[in-house]
Amino acid sequence: MPLWLDLLIRVAAVMAGFLVLPLVIGQAEHKVMAHMQGRVGPMYAGAFHGWAQLIADGVKFVQKEDITPRDADRTVFRLAPIVALFPYLVVILTIPLGPGLVAQSLDIGLFLVLAVLGIGVVAVLMSAWASANKYSLLGGVRGAAQLLAYELPLVLAAASVAMAAGTLSLPGIVEAWRPWWLIWQAPAAFIFFIAGLAEIRRPPFDMPIADSELVFGYMTEYTGLRFAFFLLAEYVGIVVIAALTTVLFLGGWHGPFEEQLGWLWTLLKIFALSFVIIWFRVSYPRLREDQLQRLCWLILVPLALAQLVLTAAVKSLL
Amino acid sequence: MSENGDRIAPGKGLLDGLAVTFKTMTRRSTTQQYPDVEPDLPPRSRGVIALLEENCTVCMLCARECPDWCIYIDSHKEEVVVPGAARARQRNVLDKFDIDFSLCMYCGICIEVCPFDALHWTPEFEYAETDVLSLLHDKDRLGDWMRTVPPPPAHDVLGEPSKEEATAARKAAGPGAATAAKTARPAGVRATPPTSDPGSPSAPPASAKEPER
Amino acid sequence: MTVADVLLLALGAIAVGSGALVVTSTHLVRSGFYLVVSLGAIAGLYLVLGAELVAWVQVLVYVGAVVVLLLFAVMLTRAPIGPSADLDRPALPAAVIGAGVGLGLTALFVDAFRWTRFPSPDPGTAERLGEQIFGAWVLPFEVLSILLLSALVGAIVLSRPDIGARKAEDA
Repeated sequence: MPLWLDLLIRVAAVMAGFLVLPLVIGQAEHKVMAHMQGRVGPMYAGAFHGWAQLIADGVKFVQKEDITPRDADRTVFRLAPIVALFPYLVVILTIPLGPGLVAQSLDIGLFLVLAVLGIGVVAVLMSAWASANKYSLLGGVRGAAQLLAYELPLVLAAASVAMAAGTLSLPGIVEAWRPWWLIWQAPAAFIFFIAGLAEIRRPPFDMPIADSELVFGYMTEYTGLRFAFFLLAEYVGIVVIAALTTVLFLGGWHGPFEEQLGWLWTLLKIFALSFVIIWFRVSYPRLREDQLQRLCWLILVPLALAQLVLTAAVKSLL
Repeated sequence: MSENGDRIAPGKGLLDGLAVTFKTMTRRSTTQQYPDVEPDLPPRSRGVIALLEENCTVCMLCARECPDWCIYIDSHKEEVVVPGAARARQRNVLDKFDIDFSLCMYCGICIEVCPFDALHWTPEFEYAETDVLSLLHDKDRLGDWMRTVPPPPAHDVLGEPSKEEATAARKAAGPGAATAAKTARPAGVRATPPTSDPGSPSAPPASAKEPER
Repeated sequence: MTVADVLLLALGAIAVGSGALVVTSTHLVRSGFYLVVSLGAIAGLYLVLGAELVAWVQVLVYVGAVVVLLLFAVMLTRAPIGPSADLDRPALPAAVIGAGVGLGLTALFVDAFRWTRFPSPDPGTAERLGEQIFGAWVLPFEVLSILLLSALVGAIVLSRPDIGARKAEDA
């Protein structure tokens, strides 16, 4: 296969995943959330149980007026949604679906993923400040505090599994994974998942958005396509966090017939975790800002450090 | 959840929350697919008010009791020559009977106060308009709603008889039998129209004995 | 010129250009965002030079944390949109000193190395970096960590008045 064709296929596959998976998750959120609340959710778009609702939403967003507030910093304001979306695109590049099935295999994929995810907070600050709106600014400052705090347990938990596997490459970690790691790395998996939820600002960690207090946080002033970009970033965020938890802690493509069906196992695990993320959103109320920081610094960080010690101890014993 | 202030196990609340939402998800949702499926409303639902014009005597009670003053009535008097009577009777003729449903708060007081059962609730509710002025229903439109008035529910077989019925029964049975007529009345009495009471000299006026329509 | 050379030059230009904008911009918060660009470009430079791990650590620590902390602090105190008139005084002496030092250092470097060619080092993989840090450079590494730890403890003592006050009463 010529190089350009190979490259084209990889880019096309990543773009397809980038555009389709969030829509599937978004639709699942519509329906699951509705049924958990005794409703039925969208039923009309696309005739069969509203399967085309998000496509209709997309069409609606495109038609809406693109408003930039008069006092806003125009360039920063317009750049922010793209900065919010871009890191996730890079992360999806590195996530292995099956054995040898990865868009871009990197020696230190884990580090890249964590580093690039950290860029998301810059987008939050950009949109928050440039909107020239006090609710936006408050949301942005909350977001920055939250993302900075939760990056620590996230990285520590990921470091634990990297230590266990002895590699920073994502496919390498999956290859080194054994079923008993589910118990050994369970606290790390828990911490990573919770901190990941906070990183993508999903309920119960959605204080930066907090629609009942801050209108819509840093997205308050956004309309039309730019707002849709932020929403898309949120759903890609769900995919990314679910995929990373799958790859790091749930053994990625491991399962029966993993040579042929590895990609299916990965996708199944991603969808199961996405379901849990949606489930959390329906079940739990939003945390208060001080409860959020307390959870991070007093529970997750010490737990992550303890897990590091445990991992090191078990690793040196083996 | 915890009894006598006992501490519950940590995380139990979190798990309970998850369980509640999951259980709800597995159950059928209670959503009514309204525009596709007609709602199954109870027959006495307060949808819109219907007017039975023949029963109206223009007593104006409804218009006066209406808290919103949303009933507008106009009438004139007519002479009706009754054969055999000494002189012509006067009768009120309804010219206008409008209810402004943009003001109406569906309290139902007009229906309660109407002494001649001219006003009725109907469960019909799909009469939204794009123009608020069109919510003023005139007497033709109000009369048209009569089609949708459901038949009244059957009488409660265990309930006390109405005052008129009780009095009639007592008079028919003679003195001393009043309590017996009240308590030991056979269940079928209510179902038959009271006008079929044979030979009752002081039959109550027909209007009070006419629940069926 | 190879692709790597072009990339190096381009990224260097971005880094220097946005670095200059950081100090010349009259928009307070924008200069923070320029700093993000500058540090990101430097990470790109590391990447081109083959030091992958250092590049991503640069992104993780500087772009994702340090600048964000800086912006966070600015936004908590004062974050006007638009130019701030009081920020940018014409400071000719400072510009002269800065430019002089920069040019002098450049001249010194150029003179010291002339056209000496060095083989480019092995790619800075995580493995190699780990071996270096925990092998040859373990002592400086540990000294640095003790320094950071003491700085952390110091920060806690400074920020918690209840600890500081008790000591003042005892003394």
